[in-house]
Amino acid sequence: MSKTLAYYPGCSLHGTSGEFDASFRASARALDLTLLEIPGWDCCGNTAAHSINRLLATALPVNELAKVEQDMKLDAVAVPCAACYSRFKTGAHEVEDAETAADVRAVVGRAYAGGVTVQNLIDVYHDAVGLEELAARVTRPFRGLKIACYYGCLLTRPPKVTLADDPEYPTHMDDVVRAIGCEPVDWNYKTDCCGASLALTEQGIVDDLVSRILNDAKACGADAVAVACPLCQVNLDGRQSEILRKNSSWQTIPVIFLSQLVGRAVGVSDKELGLKKHLVDIAAVMA
Amino acid sequence: MTTTCTVSPLLAENVGTGCGENAYKCYQCKRCTSGCPVALYSDMHPAMIMRAVQLGQLDMVFDDKFIWLCTGCETCTTRCPQGIDIAAIIDELKIIARRDGRIPADAPSAVMLKLNYDSFVRWGRMWEVELITRDVLKRPTSVKSWLSLGPKMMLKGKINPTLKRGNTMAMKRMVQTSESITKANRQRQADAAAAHTGGES
Repeated sequence: MSKTLAYYPGCSLHGTSGEFDASFRASARALDLTLLEIPGWDCCGNTAAHSINRLLATALPVNELAKVEQDMKLDAVAVPCAACYSRFKTGAHEVEDAETAADVRAVVGRAYAGGVTVQNLIDVYHDAVGLEELAARVTRPFRGLKIACYYGCLLTRPPKVTLADDPEYPTHMDDVVRAIGCEPVDWNYKTDCCGASLALTEQGIVDDLVSRILNDAKACGADAVAVACPLCQVNLDGRQSEILRKNSSWQTIPVIFLSQLVGRAVGVSDKELGLKKHLVDIAAVMA
Repeated sequence: MTTTCTVSPLLAENVGTGCGENAYKCYQCKRCTSGCPVALYSDMHPAMIMRAVQLGQLDMVFDDKFIWLCTGCETCTTRCPQGIDIAAIIDELKIIARRDGRIPADAPSAVMLKLNYDSFVRWGRMWEVELITRDVLKRPTSVKSWLSLGPKMMLKGKINPTLKRGNTMAMKRMVQTSESITKANRQRQADAAAAHTGGES
């Protein structure tokens, strides 16, 4: 049965991570999910709003949730960008407080009744599609490709907002990659921070953090790292050339969006998956 | 050299009214610092920030770059045994630092956050290309780091130079309303605090 979800791509998926947007849409189509982009969506406020204008940071995602609930009349929204997802979940959590809700209502111009489930990329495959259904749809299974599932920060933290089962050692992405024939590896840096937007200003720190994460993935036997966040992908993939310049013995490791792995497994073409947009070549592991 | 030390007994209270968190609950177990990905890169670290907030040590908090290195990864908030939302306190300190003109010179992230904010306020959506261009204009030294990665990303088609605007009218209205409500709330809290102290000072 076909399901319909509202879709909030966010600025990164329209910017540096076009392949995330394309592969997510294509995988959803192959899985009979209808995605309806929120018309005229505005930025969720990202990292900047909550450290400059706290009320706006809450109001921006709630404004989008109100559109989904009252204009689109849908009960779930897919938010594949982990940073946007976090802002949506935080906004929804904060308007549970009556005083905040009143201020937010004044900013947004209407009340949000709380009727929309916010789903990140993993939730879409794990819950909206379901693991059994996903496994049944696989036409090109991976044959035991070893994947380090990297969750980063905001898919699970803070747990009072995300309601993640285990914020220190999440496993839902591992379940999803297993359903498409990959072998998730047990590793230590699943939820460590990649440096996020410090990549714009403090590249040395990001190179340290990225090296540590990827070294552990390699030491634990991974052939590739799977991600569900555009910023994690840009950092883990993009910083490797600079890390290699500083350390000539560096062994590169491909960093792939979960939507590209799922898309390939359910028969989406390589072109639609944007496999050539990565700085560390992913063709060999996706073959 | 004379060492000055600016102290404000109101710092913890101001943080509390801004973000609703009680800094006095911290008993210095340092779990926040142990898990912090950037604690190694500045003189201060999360537990020290919490102590400095309790003591009202403005210079310790605002002269150091730590709060501007915080990525908002929420590890401290997740692990705090006292349930303090430490990341929210760091955010509030960023708001106070900006308001009081206390951003240190070695904190490029403070500039970047504002460029980012201005970009989505202007267009309804954050425009990455604009962000990078304005950053280079403001911080010419940053051009070197952009050149190390930018051309490679462009060749791969990773950079989308175009911008699709959001609903700029709605954005403008929400920015203005949120600013005026925040200002009114702050005034109300300040009046209440003044009434509480019986008009002293």
